[in-house]
Formats: sequence, structure tokens, C-alpha cells
Amino acid sequence: MSTAKAALHRKKKKAATQVEVCTLLLGTKTFGLPITHILEIVGAARPQPVPLAPIYVGGLVHYRGDVLTTVSLRQLLNMPPKEGKQDLLVMESSGEIFGLLVDSVNEVLAVSSADYETNPSILDERWRALFAGAYKLKDSLLVMLNPEQLDPMRLSATRAA
Amino acid sequence: MDELTREFLIESQEGLDRMEQCLTNLEERPRDAGLIGEIFRSVHTIKGTTGFLGFKRLEKLAHAGENLLSLLRAGKLTAGNPTITGLLQLLDGLRSILKTIEADGTEGAGEDGLLIGWLEELQAPAQAQVMHPAHAMANIHPESASCAGAVATPPPAAPAPVDLEPVEPVRTLAEVEGDPSRPRTQGSAAESTLRVDVTLLNRMMNLVGELVLTRNQVLQATSADPNMTQLSRRLDIVTAELRESVMKARMQPVSNIFSKMPRMVRDLSQSLGRRVRLQVVGQETELDKSLLEAIKDPLTHAVRNSLDHGIESPDARLAAGKDPEGTLTLKATQEGSHVVIEVSDDGSGIDVEKVRRKAVERGLISADRAAQLGERELQQLVFLPGFSTATTVTNVSGRGVGMDVVRTNVEKIGGKVEIDSRAGQGTTLRMRIPLTLAIIPALIVRSIKQSFALPQGALSELVHIPPEEAATAIEWIENAPLYRLRGKLLPLVFLDRLLMPGVEHPIDTQKGAFIAVLDTDGRRFGLVVDGLADPEEIVVKPLSGVLKEIGLFTGATVLGNADLALILDPGAIALKAGVTLREEEPTCADEGENADAYALSYLLVEAAGRQAAVPLADVLRIEQLPFKRIEYVGNRPVLNFEGQLLPVEDSDGVLTAAEGNPEAKIIVVVCREGNRHVGIAVSHVLDVAAGSDLFETGTDQRTSGVTLLKSRVTGVVNLGAVVPLPAGQQMPAEWSQRAETVA
Repeated sequence: MSTAKAALHRKKKKAATQVEVCTLLLGTKTFGLPITHILEIVGAARPQPVPLAPIYVGGLVHYRGDVLTTVSLRQLLNMPPKEGKQDLLVMESSGEIFGLLVDSVNEVLAVSSADYETNPSILDERWRALFAGAYKLKDSLLVMLNPEQLDPMRLSATRAA
Repeated sequence: MDELTREFLIESQEGLDRMEQCLTNLEERPRDAGLIGEIFRSVHTIKGTTGFLGFKRLEKLAHAGENLLSLLRAGKLTAGNPTITGLLQLLDGLRSILKTIEADGTEGAGEDGLLIGWLEELQAPAQAQVMHPAHAMANIHPESASCAGAVATPPPAAPAPVDLEPVEPVRTLAEVEGDPSRPRTQGSAAESTLRVDVTLLNRMMNLVGELVLTRNQVLQATSADPNMTQLSRRLDIVTAELRESVMKARMQPVSNIFSKMPRMVRDLSQSLGRRVRLQVVGQETELDKSLLEAIKDPLTHAVRNSLDHGIESPDARLAAGKDPEGTLTLKATQEGSHVVIEVSDDGSGIDVEKVRRKAVERGLISADRAAQLGERELQQLVFLPGFSTATTVTNVSGRGVGMDVVRTNVEKIGGKVEIDSRAGQGTTLRMRIPLTLAIIPALIVRSIKQSFALPQGALSELVHIPPEEAATAIEWIENAPLYRLRGKLLPLVFLDRLLMPGVEHPIDTQKGAFIAVLDTDGRRFGLVVDGLADPEEIVVKPLSGVLKEIGLFTGATVLGNADLALILDPGAIALKAGVTLREEEPTCADEGENADAYALSYLLVEAAGRQAAVPLADVLRIEQLPFKRIEYVGNRPVLNFEGQLLPVEDSDGVLTAAEGNPEAKIIVVVCREGNRHVGIAVSHVLDVAAGSDLFETGTDQRTSGVTLLKSRVTGVVNLGAVVPLPAGQQMPAEWSQRAETVA
């Protein structure tokens, strides 16, 4: 959560086209999520596995009196599971709350919409649904995740199809 | 829709609900001025407000009704059957317009001319009375006398009987409320209650659940520090009380759904040509709001069934030597953590031969099997899907989607349904509903290194397989695992193999395994788990759609140690594992009658050196507890068991021996006796004696009280002889005298 605070202190150069993006680490990769979809970041979550659940379900976590279904970003992207604790992003999509498990939450970046480009046409079909374009940073590309597509209900629909 | 209209809709609906209840009561007491006043007020309020809001159609209809009601109120007209029917029609008319307003904000284009005309026609006798009082009396009274029954017919000059509150023909609401003679109870009830949105209550419930968990963690963290202990204990108490109050806020009296029944019974019995008197007992019993909603349909169905199949036509009743008017009783009582709702009629009862025939005809059971079934077992067949004995399908019931739906709905909310019927005397349908849906008792089981919650509603017993027997106790027919439970083969389902198929799951050679014997939807099977933890009252949390789709879990819960556990759905497990539906096992509700069917097993206990036997079917639980848990009412020992006080039989002095040592462990066998529970203090629980041995001895196990167990003559505890609590005095216990043991 300290990263969120750091972001507040960041000076905004071009206020009108500035977008705040939360960056997450997954192994060696970095992804971005617009902070508007994130309700809370919970550190060191220990999800309870659910037998027979779809592969991308990371388990259940207890969150403010509710039981949240989590999506494991690693399993969703066909990466090997990680041992130990993970960070949890509590997200909201179409009225339902769910969790997204990532290796760790990095920082909140202010990026300019001028640096944004949509998914390239050569991108593989299965990634195209999950990704929502990228921001061209100085030394790398920040791939954005599509928060609408991460909802477990949506995933079960698209995976089944 | 603006706030004012919404407010008006809620208020009017409540008014109409009250009116409906009053109308059905009015049928019994047509001269009750209080009832008429109440109905008048409901209609008057609607009329007044609609004029203000500009709902012309509603106003016109309400006005016509009000005219009729004001005559009733002035005592110029008596509420006879046609008048009440007319007023009920008015109620329906008003309701349907309100519904349209709720849906789209307009009154709709309907025409109420016919109804208004009818309401005006009903006023006619009153005008006759104005002109010829003497004739009018003759016109009206025959009608009222049949309904009024015991109510003394007052002289026509007096508008109302003296013992009732005087009602002046007041025309405005302000005057009515200003009347000092009117009791204030209704007003004060409204002032002390508050309308709360259910979602807000749900949210509060969630937060309280969260608080309970945080408290548990605080209690653990502070247990070492004496200063904090004091504080955390306070937190503990406050949390528990808060939780209880929030739960209470969700409770509503069953009268909320019972009050819909008089109208339905009236309409149905008229259309079916029955004469039925409805008795309602225990209206004030409270249930969680969501549960109340859930039992509305099953209850409606049960009442319809009673009217259609249960209570006979007046002629048939007369022929059978019964009162031509049948009685239908709705009864709600609280028993521990359950509410029992009974629908009973004094009709023809279930014709078991017809049931047998129909069940075979519809291919629900085989003819051989049907021939073997006893009366009680046959009765339970009505719960099978697709069953109906009705020879013709009526629009009331008989479509074969009846009782199984009742059962499914009740079981869905963790309840149970039983039917008890005597040919020619009537039928009782009993629904046992847990007090709240949000919190259910569950057994925590371990499998694949996780905890799972198993709702206790489906659990009938637990069997431990010690490690040394693990290899032999479970027998196989090809790939079907089976266990011999008291001589019968029980199909088994391994929870670990079900949840993690394709992985080897050897039985733990250290601890063995446990079988939870489950009974659900007529399917009986054993669920094999690695371990058992304590039973817990769990708070049910819903699962997201994607996990519901797995189909084996009904929800999740947070355990006392802050771990999450998935709640297993026994019915779904049975289905998934392919456990097929089998014919109903008899329930153990009453012994005596079908003792020969299942009471062949006994629990062998020892009390102060003597052996005694308790029919196993009646044993609910064996509790080992410290002596200090026993309390005394007068000189009778009692035990607080799941919130119920049960008398503890101690004729062998097991308790006396433990006196003075509050920590001494004593054993109490908790048994079911009729519809109460009793406890029996014993020194040891020895064994369960198998039924086949008993059978071979050929002794009469029903009532003689003595049987041959393990080649010793053993007294059978007569549970009926345990003195009920209110009696207060200790009586010489019968069973101890009979429990003489001959070595």
C-alpha cells in the first residue's frame, strides 16, 4: 500500500492525459492494471485451494466478512505456480468482487495516454483477450491487463468456448 | 418513482395484508367492530392518499369499498358471506392496481366497473334496513347467524355489542385516531418498530461475522497478558451479544406467512366443495426472514395437498361418522435450534395400498420391494419424485410434482420433512427448519489436507475404521467400495478420490479412516474422510458462480481458527458418485409401531455395575462431560443440551457418586423419546449389540423390556418412563428395576 502513497506524491506533468497504472510483478515480467479497478491491495495472502476448480482459480481468501474467489495470474498465463506468499489485488468488475493473485505489487506509475498503443495484430489469440494494449515506457513496454476479462465468471465463459 | 409514491406503496401493501387477515377473521366474528374498523382504515387510507397522488382509478375503487365498509361499521349491515367475498375481491382489485403502479408508475388501463357495481349492490340490504328496520333484521340475520356461531346476536337497535368498543360512524381518519377510547396498542407498535432494508441487515450480519473472527484472534493473542485478558473478555461478551441482536433483527414471526393461509383455505375449500376450519397455533414463533421466504412455497403446497387429498367432502365425512367440517391445523413450535412447522388435517389419511399400487405403476419401486414395505415406509414414498395418487389431475394438486418439491425445498435450507398418517384419521406433515440459514451446525472433516464442513442435517452416524482394520473393513465389488454397517452393505464414497481424481490416496496407517454415514434425498452412503474435527456452528458464505458450477460445494465458511473451509453438499456428492436412489428408510420418530423394522440394535451400557440396553434407534448422542455441567431443577438432575433442558435419569446413582467433584467425567446417553429428549447417566458405554443375534433368540423386543444380549439377559431402558421435567418430583425409575442382569 505504500506504493499507492508514493504515487500520490508523484508530480503530474500533463494532468489531462495522465493515467495511473498499478504495476505488478510476475516472475521476471511486469504487467499494468488501471488503478480505477482496484479496491484494495492485501499483502501476504494465503489462499485456500478449491479442489476441482478451473485451473486459473487460485483459491479462496477471507476478505472483510466475505469469501472471495481469486484468480491466479500465474496459472492464467500458464506459468509454473509459485511457492510461498503472494500479494492479492481485490478487484471489482461488473458488480462482483474477486481477487487477483500476483507475485508482488510493485508501484503505481503515472503514464501518459500519448504513449499508449493497442494490442498488436500478431498477438496470439489467447493473449489478445487478456491484454489491453501497452504503454511505451522509456526502456520497456508495460503490458496492460484487461480487468474486465479477469473476472472468474468471464474467464469460465471464455475458457469454455 | 418518487419517494412519496414508494412510501405509499409499502404502506398500502401493509394495510392490505392487515385487511386480508381481518377479513378472514371477520368471517368468524362478523360483528367484531374492531375488525371492521381496521379494514375500514386500510381502505380509507388508500383512498385518501390516492386522491392526493392523483391515482383516479384506485381512488374510485377504494371509494366504492369504503361506502360499503362505512355501512358495516355503522352496524347497518352485517358482514355475511357475499359481503366478505365482495371485500376480498376489492382487496384483489386494489392489490393488482398497486402492482401495476409499482411496475410502471401508472394505474394501468383496466376497468373496475363490474366490481364497483357489485360493491354497490352489496349495500342494498342496508338501504332496506333504513326504510324498514323490522324487515331488514329478518333479511340479514339468517345470514349472520350461520357465521356468528356462538356470538350472541345483539338487538338491531344497538350498533355493536356492549363488550366491544363502541364505533361511531366517523367519516375521517383524523377522528378515528383522535378517539380516546380506541386502544393505543397499534399506534405504539408502529412507533417502536422501524423499517430496515434487508441488504443493510445482511451487511450488518457480515460485519458482525467479521467482528467475531477478529475477536477470536484477539482472544488468542491476548491470552497471555492478564491486563488484556480482562479487556478481551469484555470484547468477547459484547461481540456475542451484538451477534445475537443482529440475528434477532432478521427474525420474523411465522404469522407473516401463516396469515396468507386463511384466505387460501377459504378460496380453495369453496372451489373444492369442502368445509374446513383452519386452526393456527404458535403464530408468534420466529424464523429468519430468508427461511420464512423459503418455506412459503412448501407450506402452501402442503396446505393445498391437505385440502385436496386429505380432507374429504362433507358427505363423505358424514358417511364416515365425522364432523362434516374438517379441521386443518397449522402449528409452529420451537424445539431447540429448530422450528417445527406442522400441517395436519383430520381427513382420510394416506391410503397405503393406493400408494403401493401407484408407486409400482409409475415404476418408482419394484413390485417385490413394494410387497415387503411396511405402512410407514410406504407413506414415505409420497416424497419420491413423480409420485401422485390423485386419480385425476386437478388445478389444485395432483400433478406429481408435489411432495418431492416440498422435500427438496425444505432440505435445501437444511430442514427435514416427515409425514405421519393414519388411515381414516388424518395426516400430519412435519417440517423441521433450522432457526437461521446463515448459521448451521456442521461437522468439520479433514481430507486432502484441508478442512471441509459437512452439514449435520444429513449426518446420521460416524464410524471409525482403526488402521489395523483398514485393509479388511472396506470390501470391494470390482471398483465399488462397500462397508458392512450392522450387517447391511453401505456404498462408500472416498472424499479424497472424489476431489482429487487420478491421484493415489492410501489410507493413513497411523490413524485409519472415518466414515460419515449420510442420508440425503433418500440416498444413503458413507463418506470416507481422513479425520474428524469438532462440530462447529458455521456461518455460511456464498461462493462465486464459477465455484458453484463445480457442484459439490454449497458455500464456504471461516472456521474458529480463521481457516477457510468449503461446505460439502451431501446430495450432490451422492449424485456425482452415482449413489442411486433407494427406497426410503423408515424414520425413527416413533418406536413401538415399527419396532420390528429397525429397533433390532441396542446400545449396551453399564450403570453402577449393571448392564442395560437402550434401543439404538433412539440414541441421539453420547456425551462425555464434567459433572459440573449437570444442573438441578428441584432435586432432578437436568442437562442443558443444545439449548434444551433435558431430564437426566440417574436411578443407579452414577451422578450421586460423582457429587463433590465438579471435574469428574460422566457419560450421558441422549435419547429421543416421542418428541422430547431425555438423558440417561451411565458409567460406561459397552457395545452395540447386533440385531441378528437378537432376532435369533426369538424374544419379543417390543415391550417386554428384557432381551438377550451377548448371552446375558439385559433390561431394556424404558425411555417413556423417564419423568418429564415439569412434573418436578422424582419418581422411582422403572427401568432400573427392570434392568436386572442375570449373569
